Amino acid sequence: MSDSAAKTERPKRDRGPFPRKGFQILGLGLQDFIRYFFGGNAGLAIVVLIFICLFLAKEAIFFFPQHHHEYRIYRQAGQEYVDLIGKEIDTHTRLGSTVNIAYLAEVNESSTEEDQLVNALLQVKTAVENRTERLGERLGDARESMEDLPEEIAKEADPAKKAEMEKKLAEARKLEQELAPEWKSEAEAALDDPTIWDLDRNPVRLNTEEKVKIREAVLMAEPAREQDHPYFVALRESSAAKKEKARAKYETFKATIDELRNAVKPVRDLHGELRDVAMENRRVLDKFETAPARKKALIEGAEATKDPEEKARKLKMAEAVVMDTPDYEALNKPIYDSVPKYEEIEPTFVSGVTKAWEALPDPKTLETKSGREKLRAAKASYEDFLKSAENSSEKIPKWRHDKPMSVLKTVLAFFFGKDWITNSSWHEFYGLLPLFSGSLLISLIAIVVSVPFSVAAAVYVNQLARSQEQNFIKPALEFIQAIPSIVLGFFGILVLGTALRNLSHVEWLSWVPGFPMSERLNMLTAGLLLAFMAVPTIFTLAEDALNNVPRSFSEASFALGASKLQTIFKVVMPTAISGIVAAVLLGFGRIIGETMVVLLVAGNKIQIPDFTAGIGVFTQPAHTMTGIIAQELGEVEQGSLHWRALFMVGMVLFCISLLINYFAQRILKKFHHAH
Amino acid sequence: MSDTKMDTQLPKSEKKPESQAVEPTGDIVIDVDDVSFAYDGKKEVIRNVSMGIRCNEVTAFIGPSGCGKTTLLRCLNRMNDLIPTAAITNGEIRILDTNIYDPAVDVIELRKHVGMVFQKYNPFPKSIYENVAYGLRIQGVRNKATLDQAVEESLIAAGLWSEVKDRLDASGLGLSGGQQQRLCIARTIAVQPKIILMDEPCSALDPISTTKIEDLITQLKTHFTIVIVTHNMQQATRVSDKTAFFYLGELIEIDETTKVFSNPSKKQTEDYISGRFG
Repeated sequence: MSDSAAKTERPKRDRGPFPRKGFQILGLGLQDFIRYFFGGNAGLAIVVLIFICLFLAKEAIFFFPQHHHEYRIYRQAGQEYVDLIGKEIDTHTRLGSTVNIAYLAEVNESSTEEDQLVNALLQVKTAVENRTERLGERLGDARESMEDLPEEIAKEADPAKKAEMEKKLAEARKLEQELAPEWKSEAEAALDDPTIWDLDRNPVRLNTEEKVKIREAVLMAEPAREQDHPYFVALRESSAAKKEKARAKYETFKATIDELRNAVKPVRDLHGELRDVAMENRRVLDKFETAPARKKALIEGAEATKDPEEKARKLKMAEAVVMDTPDYEALNKPIYDSVPKYEEIEPTFVSGVTKAWEALPDPKTLETKSGREKLRAAKASYEDFLKSAENSSEKIPKWRHDKPMSVLKTVLAFFFGKDWITNSSWHEFYGLLPLFSGSLLISLIAIVVSVPFSVAAAVYVNQLARSQEQNFIKPALEFIQAIPSIVLGFFGILVLGTALRNLSHVEWLSWVPGFPMSERLNMLTAGLLLAFMAVPTIFTLAEDALNNVPRSFSEASFALGASKLQTIFKVVMPTAISGIVAAVLLGFGRIIGETMVVLLVAGNKIQIPDFTAGIGVFTQPAHTMTGIIAQELGEVEQGSLHWRALFMVGMVLFCISLLINYFAQRILKKFHHAH
Repeated sequence: MSDTKMDTQLPKSEKKPESQAVEPTGDIVIDVDDVSFAYDGKKEVIRNVSMGIRCNEVTAFIGPSGCGKTTLLRCLNRMNDLIPTAAITNGEIRILDTNIYDPAVDVIELRKHVGMVFQKYNPFPKSIYENVAYGLRIQGVRNKATLDQAVEESLIAAGLWSEVKDRLDASGLGLSGGQQQRLCIARTIAVQPKIILMDEPCSALDPISTTKIEDLITQLKTHFTIVIVTHNMQQATRVSDKTAFFYLGELIEIDETTKVFSNPSKKQTEDYISGRFG
């Protein structure tokens, strides 16, 4: 078509002996268009990637100035000072509760046998009640009316109503006669079902005699006519007696604990007073900081309104906004005035605690294992307390509200901050450490569990399996990738978590660190699931690396009289090692970025795991960097500090992934280069 | 190359019972008896081959591509076992008077006695030292002095010692092609086999490296029985004592090299060596 137009306007150009043929626009042929189309697609993806990076970086980077600003107010309002005292009190509270838990363990576990039986009874009873719920309710109602109606009849004067009530009473009696045996048989049927005896808490093994007793007791507890079985009354009494005895035995222990805990009182009172002062300061400062913005909004609002009266009112309001700089010195005066008082009461506080601490019994003398362990663990808390007390008493006299604050400090406060506290009326803390340590520990479990499995599977499939096995195992393992993580998380909560907790309560496994687990959802559960999720990534890449080892290497090894296994361990694996390392790194990247499973299964407790528990730290719940974003981003105000903090967490994740991928690619490149 | 060094190696291999049964030069150490071989169980690539290979001689296998010479070579140390469906369909191969396809034979033991050098040099991605020591290490030799001695002797025997003695810890892959092939030969002789199989060892090398390897083969034959597959007929005349000509899976002729090349008894042999086909 364009050809015919060209013909009429200009003389036909001589195209020479080799003219370009076919469809052309602006000198571009079909081939060129296809080429640019594909190129454009690739380019678009890269542009979007760059756009995302820039957006992330922009949202995240403004976190620091805003964070700095908030921190400055925190200091100016005297909150920092109050928290210095608060920290000392917190460590003391922790110490007190640890010691108290040891004491409670001693008292409560003195009657474990009885308590377990009573618990078993209650569980079975609840289960039976649930199964006979409808019948039980009707029977209960009938019995209640049988009890209540005669009184009402006696009170009622109107004969018509009286007759009606009597009729009702007769009905209830009849119903009761009917339902009572029915309930009994249903309850018995429920008790005959063996699944009702699966106890999920305190799984004790009941012997036949105990089962018979429980059965009797449950049947005695009829709806609305509960009667206690004498056996269990005896058990409860014996339990109470034993506890009483233990309490009597540890009277001095308890007294010492009380002494230890009460030593804090004057400091706590002071803290409470100052806290109120600082709160008020903060309110004043916040008002001052937002004053210009509010004024501007009011003036703008006034300009927009047409009604002159309304306009004048708004302008007056804008006028009234106080813009004066608050008198920081005066605001903080109560705080400065409290320093001598603090210095006076603090030494008595510390010496009181020290005295009580020294009076505590030797852990060895306690009877229960958990009591001993807790009391031993309290030593770390005690040292923590001493350190924190020293720190506070050193810093408090020197504290100034107008001490300049470096930006570096607020940056460090993010990366190494130990608290992540949001939506607080006091001050919001954004410290990465609890989230980072959670992510890292979970990934560590996952990688430690996953690597042996995946690499061994890769070696087997690549080197040892027959081809039918290869054809089965490879797709099967790669299929794991196709399982939606929400489904795995679901499985983790319902099956794996419960199974692990039950396993951890098995008596002969109690030597395992961290067992028995108190929480069903914890880092171990999440780590195991993530290990499973990492298998396809590591397996596929490791298998690839093994596959890339030239055949001639293993042939040479065989020709020298090496066995299959010697060849694998001495030639094939060492040759593929960099590829395997890259596979593990990429698996790690996959794990640390995983969100859904950890959000569901890790327990979501924002705290730095208690490393004093040794390896048992892995059975504690934790929150993760990915989980916190998923959980909180939907609910924060756009542009707020919290919002930016979450972006910053995302940025950190992004950088971690980037680094891991970079190193993995570098190692892989080296590996391919070598062969 | 020092003969005294080689002599110190020999007693070790003579401790093995099989080697005591063998008289020095001239005895048949490899006895191929009516052997047929197929990769897929049906189509035979070697048909009814019989020959005897004598001790301390160099025997060259020649023939056009696809004639089965490499396949036969790889049968001799059962490298073909690595291919699942490949198997000998007829006859037997006796090495040192033992049928090597007998179920009682451990293929690993066999390969310790029948070493192999491949067409494309393939040192391990390890140091030069570790390449040579590999065979001994997998046999469980831990003693550093023994390993040091064996590595030195093998490298001397392979004519590589003077070139690499200062960089034994450098990677074997950093050597030149010819050096890498000699390293592979050193690696093979370090485990002191009785027989060395060479599958076109010079085909990937330049002429100078080829000459070095050929010299090496001539020297090695005083201690080893060597079977070499080659496409290069000049090479066969230069290094071998006996030459076997294969064509379409059959052994056409085996005789003294001088006789095969000067006065072949079969028409096909004559056609091939005079370049009329192949």
